[in-house]
Amino acid sequence: MDKKITIESIEREAAVMRRHVIEMGYAAGGRGAHFGPALSSIEIVASLFFKVMNHNPLEPTMTERDRFIQSKGHACLSYYAALVETGYITKDQMYTFKGDGSFLSGHPSRNMRYGIEISSGSLGNGFAIAGGMAKAAKIKKEKHKVYCLVGDGECNEGIIWEAAMNGAKSKLDNLIAIVDRNGVQLAGKTKDIMDVDLEALWKAVGWEVLIVKEGNDTASILKALEKMKNSQSGKPHVIIANTTKGKGVSFMEDSISWHARPLNKEDYEQAVSELENA
Amino acid sequence: MRKVPIERLQEWSKLGHRTVLGETLVMLGADYPEMVTVTADLTPTARLTGFKEAYPDRFYDVGIAEQNMIDFTAGLAVEGIRPFAVGLAAIVPMRPAEQMRVALGYMNLNATVVGIEAGVRFGPLGNTHYAMDDIAVVRAIPNFTIVSPSDPLQVHKALYAAAEYDGPIYMRLTGGPGFPIMYPEDFDFQIGKAIEYRKGSEVAFISNGALLGEAVAAAEILQTKGISVRVIDMHTVKPLDTVMLDKVFSENKLIVTIEEHSPIGGLGGAVAEYKAGFSGTPKQVFASLGDKFQKLGDHAFLMKENGLTASGLAALAEENL
Repeated sequence: MDKKITIESIEREAAVMRRHVIEMGYAAGGRGAHFGPALSSIEIVASLFFKVMNHNPLEPTMTERDRFIQSKGHACLSYYAALVETGYITKDQMYTFKGDGSFLSGHPSRNMRYGIEISSGSLGNGFAIAGGMAKAAKIKKEKHKVYCLVGDGECNEGIIWEAAMNGAKSKLDNLIAIVDRNGVQLAGKTKDIMDVDLEALWKAVGWEVLIVKEGNDTASILKALEKMKNSQSGKPHVIIANTTKGKGVSFMEDSISWHARPLNKEDYEQAVSELENA
Repeated sequence: MRKVPIERLQEWSKLGHRTVLGETLVMLGADYPEMVTVTADLTPTARLTGFKEAYPDRFYDVGIAEQNMIDFTAGLAVEGIRPFAVGLAAIVPMRPAEQMRVALGYMNLNATVVGIEAGVRFGPLGNTHYAMDDIAVVRAIPNFTIVSPSDPLQVHKALYAAAEYDGPIYMRLTGGPGFPIMYPEDFDFQIGKAIEYRKGSEVAFISNGALLGEAVAAAEILQTKGISVRVIDMHTVKPLDTVMLDKVFSENKLIVTIEEHSPIGGLGGAVAEYKAGFSGTPKQVFASLGDKFQKLGDHAFLMKENGLTASGLAALAEENL
């Protein structure tokens, strides 16, 4: 992407993406949206789409593009917001989110015309497919990377660890996973549902692990992504990014109930007001 | 037409479908540079050692992890590689059914999943290793094509057809050592196009997999009793060859579907579902493994127990005429 991109410019894009998340989620009306996990992942997705990844909205199937896989597909609004801001999807299309006949389903559906690499959201599977895609790049001697956004709750899934073991065995150093550790999953806090030491687990299966203490701080997440992108460890890489569920909207932050629900007019107006005054 | 290895048929018949699979994958490796083989710790069992040695960079063992095997396969296919994923029929369509649905089916990828030792081929290993429901699981997934070849040469030709096919395939392999040769010479094989193996006017046997041999033998028994039997090799369960079925509906009096599978959701179920749309069609009876777990026993014992022998099939037809 453009070399003139700065941390400040990514932060501005992140702010716009947060507004898009609220707009799309509000447009879905009673169908609701997964606000919490979209908002926690904004800085990660913005850093990837505006700085780290090589991609071209005018040529979505460009062979040398870096791949982005949103394995935690329920957080699709952060992905769609990035696709809008980078020009894959128009604003008119954005407002069709979850609508009858729309291509913007509540979990991503493969659509290369609009930059959606795979169908994901059945948890764990996107990450495992990303492993196959990284292997394919090795087979074809292509130099691009595969970036995969995974949820901390998603790491409950057994297939995450099947695929992680195979990633290490296959030396997929072109695969970079980012765990959006927002600490909240559907039914509660992750420490109450399944309290595990993610750092130890990823290390145990042979991955290079980097912890980002402030995953909603653009400078921090960007630094980690660039470090893993350039790592010569020969291992697959995982960034465990500590984030805040619902980041940026006070009443959604760290909230279990705002994992997914409809947004009413009053709450919408407050969310917009908070984001505009941030 | 590509020359087929007729000289291997006797050996393939003697050794069964695993050997046909292993040797054919090596041939495919030579003919299709983008083709790879994936497995989940089944290399010697599925006779993949030859492929592994011939193409070590195109052979991937993901460990005992069938769910990841399917998603890994999908990731390769998304990027234009042609994967053949090989597992036990008893395990593979059922355990990673969701991966087959969301990754291979929903994204409509060009990949072939091969299930070896389908039906009750594993005899003494017991019910955990029987695949009696694999077709049913895959049939419910949109976009999937299901092929159950009937003899050694057809296994070989079906694998070649799969390498050029658009969309995901589940290839169900039956026929162990002593796999009857039904096609001693090269023949026209097309996925989705049934073969009228034997002409006949009264009964229609519609079979797939290695039971074609028993079906033909049963037809011969009935012939001696003056009953004319047509035998259809319905090697593709999905999509069904409805042109062939329409002929059967209008020309035969009794349909016997024959499969080493549950009567629910397999070939018999598929034929019945299609037949339900028409009035005045022939009665259908199901020769199958039944809706039950099996007794323990070797393959021949279980076939006899379920009436899946020439005499059993002949008797079933005669009772229902």
